Amino acid sequence: MTLAAPAELRQTGTRPALPGFALPTGLTLPVLVLLCATLFGALPFLRLLVAAFAPGWQFAPEAALAEISSRAAINATLHTFETAGLSALGALLIGGTAAILLAVTDVRGKRPLAFALVFSMMIAPQVAALAFLSLLAPNSALLGLVGLAPAPGTPNPLLGRGGIILVMALHHAPLVAITLWTGLRSVPQALVEAAQMEGAAPATIVGRILLPVLRPQIIAAALLAFVAGIGNFGIPALLGLPVNYLTLPTLIYRRLSSFGPAGLPDAAALSLLVALVAGLGIVAGLIATRRGGGKIEIERPLQPFWQLGTARPFVAIGLWLLIAIKLGLPLLALLGEALTPALGVALTWQSLTFDKFAEVLLRQDVTVRAFRNSFLFAGTAAVLLALISIAFAYGLERRMGKLRRVVDVVIELPYALPGVVLAIACILMFLKPLPLIGVSIYATPFIILFAYMARFLPLALKAPVAAMAQIEAHHEEAAKLDGVSLWQMLRFIVAPILAPAAAVSGLMVFLVAFNELTVSALLWSSGTETLGVVLFSLKEAGLAGEAAAVAISACAVILAVMLGLDALGRKLPANILPWRI
Amino acid sequence: MRALATAVLALGLALPALDAANAVEGKLVLYTSQPNTDAQQTIDAFKAKYPKVEISFVRDGTPRVMAKLRAEIEAGAPQADVLLIADAVTMEGLKKEGRLLAHDKADVSAFPAGVHDPEKTWFATKLITTGIVYNTKAALKPESWLDLAKPEAKGQLAMPSPLNSGAAMIHTITLTGNLPGGWSFYEKLKENGTLAAGANGDILRQVATGEKLYGMIVDFMPIREKAKGAPVEFVFPKEGVSAVSEPVAILKSSKNPEAAKAFVDFLISKDGQELALKQGYVSAHPDVALPAGYPARGAIKLMPFDAAKALADEPAARKRFSAIFEG
Repeated sequence: MTLAAPAELRQTGTRPALPGFALPTGLTLPVLVLLCATLFGALPFLRLLVAAFAPGWQFAPEAALAEISSRAAINATLHTFETAGLSALGALLIGGTAAILLAVTDVRGKRPLAFALVFSMMIAPQVAALAFLSLLAPNSALLGLVGLAPAPGTPNPLLGRGGIILVMALHHAPLVAITLWTGLRSVPQALVEAAQMEGAAPATIVGRILLPVLRPQIIAAALLAFVAGIGNFGIPALLGLPVNYLTLPTLIYRRLSSFGPAGLPDAAALSLLVALVAGLGIVAGLIATRRGGGKIEIERPLQPFWQLGTARPFVAIGLWLLIAIKLGLPLLALLGEALTPALGVALTWQSLTFDKFAEVLLRQDVTVRAFRNSFLFAGTAAVLLALISIAFAYGLERRMGKLRRVVDVVIELPYALPGVVLAIACILMFLKPLPLIGVSIYATPFIILFAYMARFLPLALKAPVAAMAQIEAHHEEAAKLDGVSLWQMLRFIVAPILAPAAAVSGLMVFLVAFNELTVSALLWSSGTETLGVVLFSLKEAGLAGEAAAVAISACAVILAVMLGLDALGRKLPANILPWRI
Repeated sequence: MRALATAVLALGLALPALDAANAVEGKLVLYTSQPNTDAQQTIDAFKAKYPKVEISFVRDGTPRVMAKLRAEIEAGAPQADVLLIADAVTMEGLKKEGRLLAHDKADVSAFPAGVHDPEKTWFATKLITTGIVYNTKAALKPESWLDLAKPEAKGQLAMPSPLNSGAAMIHTITLTGNLPGGWSFYEKLKENGTLAAGANGDILRQVATGEKLYGMIVDFMPIREKAKGAPVEFVFPKEGVSAVSEPVAILKSSKNPEAAKAFVDFLISKDGQELALKQGYVSAHPDVALPAGYPARGAIKLMPFDAAKALADEPAARKRFSAIFEG
């Protein structure tokens, strides 16, 4: 409100205000942002709370209170907090190191390295977890080769807290790297050159100049990894459940698997704890951002300034090793399952078969339909979110004042909730026809689109908001003096500045949504199957090989798309593709 | 002439049945945990008999199907007419809440007592038993559940956790209720380093790849995987096996109970039951043969199980299992 006051004052001089009819121009965007945040974040969450505390709209909070204060729930909350928190730090370390090495050093093969890192987002979390588990299992082929395979019956060292944190940190490292790249691009080369003239060593430049300037992106990236860690189900399910180390998503899953009617209200009540953990992380992030980094002018973008010298091959080897672990290992495991006739049969030239690919791609038309649907849903969500993120970034950074804190927390909720809980919230909201228009979007593609937009909005916002926070407001202020409308401001001033960050956001949303396994599970209907739905169906039928064939095919499709984009890259505006560094 | 007469006669005989089938019409929504292809086959076979019924289905694992249905109930409009899920205990829960429609006219004369709900709200469609799978390189070839507590299996057994899966809970309740030692069997398994987690698919992967040598698992997965060449063997232990029956039920809120009843009738008819055989499962009908790779029906001993009692026993079983495996 305080921000809007001067705008109102200015207006009274030029034209009579119409209170109650038109919003002052300074308020249009904040109101729109608030409406969006309410629709995507607050409403699903509140609907869940109603289901927990007032099942059937009868106020009866006892069961929900008992559930959230149970020892299992408190333990799971603590476990969620520590795995999400520590894995976010790990992701920051791994992803951040990789991002900075690729951006500022003269290491060889940057483009393929960066490309592979982005592509590794295609590996689903449970596939990654499974691949690492098998690597360290007693029958591990790789460890067997070097004679280090553990004795049969040895418990797997990856089971439990440490394993979850490690695998999750690796899994979320690309999110961090991509978010940091968008910021690294806008660091002015002049800053680096000035420091070099003063005789600063490359390490000093990174520590004293780059990291402080990148502060908004670093915090945004850490927060992204943290919230993604809270909502992750696949990794703690595989690595935590066997040793009874439960996080909130796995506890919710356990509640939903019991026979009685209590599963749904219990799961809904536990989502309150999910929100609590997410909220704490976001508040910590806000406190860290309040101290504010320096703002920068848009100038010549950063060039690599660190000559590695003799360390050059070692850095390259280190980065390729990371790719081999993160991308190569899970892909090999998938290929092994997809190309052998049955589980446990060694892959040789004799046993090699493409039957499973033929089965899922040629004989079952549902797979092809799922590819089309996932492409459509993920693509639409990505484009819409990229556009929305531009308006949101401007609104949040420049127009919202203190209110943005609330918006920040609210929009984060659907990303922190386990996918199945978000899906339940969507069912609760959209089963009945919508008010005013009287049409129900239930069992249509639109409910999946809504769920994707709600879930991935925070993912789309991180890079543009951080970019906005980093950039001086000169251009906007000049335009404001010229009296541009909100639309003109967004279209001609803000959008061009934020376009690279928004495009990267869109790409991230696409990759993650194309691959998601849990949100669409409860929301699909005949004809709107997604890839995740098909994968689950095959797995539950005991057809692991066929599921692996679908996953490999999905990777191949995304690889083709990314290579196509890369070929187009020369014609696209600079900086749209995160791996072209 | 004679051919014509036969044709007319056949037509005359077939017509009433066809009439009855044509009288059943309208939309029918099925919520099922059957794998996609199986569900589609079931529907296609039903539609061949009842062409006027427009049937659509939603498929997911039982917990998710139930989460969806529960959310719809909470929002005030359950969408399913017919429910076809893994286990009878979940059905007992719905029955207790008064959400299932009794189908009194269903013909269950061919089935032995105890297979279906005596109050005719749910009907078993097949038998999915849980037994032992082992990797063929294992030294000990288990014949009894108790073999899994032997030193040869130390650290080598994987099983689904009843805390994460309804079907595994049924298995646990059956086993502890029927084995002479009761819960002490599970205490011994814990001492023997058993890993309790994961779904059936994970157990199969672990045993087939040799990560573990023994597993508790549903019958059809290892039997099919063995047929494809995997180094696994499935055992029906001598004390007997537990089973879930993939029951079908009609929701009281169904908008098309006539079509729903026709669907249930079809599933428990001999034709419907033979479909289960074609899909590679053990049908619930005693006269239907078993798929390839299974022993004779008489060689499989089923441990007795009471769904209503299991529903009541679940909380206690949960506590007991947690105390043993997590304490």
